[in-house]
Amino acid sequence: MALSLERFGGYNPDKPMENRLTDLGPRHFWEFFPPVIQNNYGKWKYHEILEPGVLVHVSETGDKVFTVRCGGGRFMTVENVREICDIADKHCDGYVRFTTRNNIEFMVETQDKMEALKKDLMSRKHVTGSYKFPVGGTGAGVTNIVHTQGFLHCHTPATDASSMVKAIMDDLFDYFQGMTLPAQVRVSMACCLNMCGAVHCSDIALLGYHRKPPVIDHEVMDALCEIPLVIAACPTGAISPAKTEDGKKTVKIKEERCMFCGNCYTMCMAVPLADKEGDGVTILAGGKISNRISRPKFSKVVVPWLPNNFPRFPEVVRDVKKIVEAYAADANKYERIGDWAERIGWEKFFEKCDLPFTEHLIDDYRLAYDTYRTSSQFKYTEAAWEVSRAAGGIE
Amino acid sequence: MPTLEFEGNTFNVDEDGFIDDFNNWNEDWVKYVKTTEGIEELTDEHWKVITVVQDYYKKNGIAPMVRILSKVTGFKLKYIYELFPSGPGKGACKMAGLPKPTGCV
Repeated sequence: MALSLERFGGYNPDKPMENRLTDLGPRHFWEFFPPVIQNNYGKWKYHEILEPGVLVHVSETGDKVFTVRCGGGRFMTVENVREICDIADKHCDGYVRFTTRNNIEFMVETQDKMEALKKDLMSRKHVTGSYKFPVGGTGAGVTNIVHTQGFLHCHTPATDASSMVKAIMDDLFDYFQGMTLPAQVRVSMACCLNMCGAVHCSDIALLGYHRKPPVIDHEVMDALCEIPLVIAACPTGAISPAKTEDGKKTVKIKEERCMFCGNCYTMCMAVPLADKEGDGVTILAGGKISNRISRPKFSKVVVPWLPNNFPRFPEVVRDVKKIVEAYAADANKYERIGDWAERIGWEKFFEKCDLPFTEHLIDDYRLAYDTYRTSSQFKYTEAAWEVSRAAGGIE
Repeated sequence: MPTLEFEGNTFNVDEDGFIDDFNNWNEDWVKYVKTTEGIEELTDEHWKVITVVQDYYKKNGIAPMVRILSKVTGFKLKYIYELFPSGPGKGACKMAGLPKPTGCV
């Protein structure tokens, strides 16, 4: 079918259901496999990481596949995607894939082709000097940051995604191109605590956070919103129905019960809560999803709030770096950040990472009791001695 | 907020074509939305869905869940889509004058 230059293309707005195709689903992945992957499907024997960013898989049939992994910005222009296609055409017979962390993987069959591909990828730079396709992201390093929309597209964020991810990745770039850590470190980012993506189960997670209760627009509340949904959206029961002076239906919010989650704004645009000074970033650490050695873990809050310092978020970058460096220096091989923190004890984690422990980090939501220490087992830290001295305790 | 004229009525709508206030709804609104929602002819079955949605909203302050709408009208979801090609939210609720659906939609 030829391309139409009409405003609606081949679509006829007067007869929307005519010639409508639906429920076709995605294309079958088999169609897009390189021949060597098709031929060896389900027959792989072992793999090796040759160097950061380069893997080789060897099949029972003796075939080899070299995979070159490179970082991607996740938000991409069509021009950028076309360049990826050009590289795939030039080196890989037009085949390419994206990983679950939005890296790009090019696959070739011989060592020579792999070297040429790697050289080509590393030679491509944006006009500003950033690598377009930096090779890396394998093994015990820091791979791509799973992140969200931020101010680019979403209406509930408390911070921006792309800019923070760029700032963090710039600082952790050596870890992306190297495999020098005790185990892989998964960093992820979500711009509000809806937590789209992986922040609740990542080694280091960055989370947009509000600190002020919503402002209620009583005038439009009843017309725009389904009030029972707004009330039911609140996890702490802070919202209740109310009437304005001229008899309109609205809600009231008990500010001392509000913890600024923003759920009510998701359900109703008459209760916005974004605030320039109030909003910021929370850092969580110690989550994982694999079952290797220890069970999967949720990440835990370790920094309650840092300011949104656009565009480079220096405070956030500083604290992430502190955690990664303390972990790299102290953890045993194969230990993820959560495993390390649990082995040395979280009190030691805070001491080694040089992060202050504040009352915000103590859980107070419903099942909080299980997170308190119901034991006399703990290690004295400098911070603990400080409290003891302040209270006039033992010398 | 854009306003539009239709057969002597003035309606205020948002950028997605939802009416500004349930109280400003009248039967002409349904005829207007019909022109944008890909519905050829309004039948009694369309009106049944619209009435059920409106009654539920007046009584409860929220739009009915899809399963409640199905159960009360007796129409399966597939048939509701045949009546309203954009579905119960964008089609039926818009026609009935309810607020725009919210959440991660």
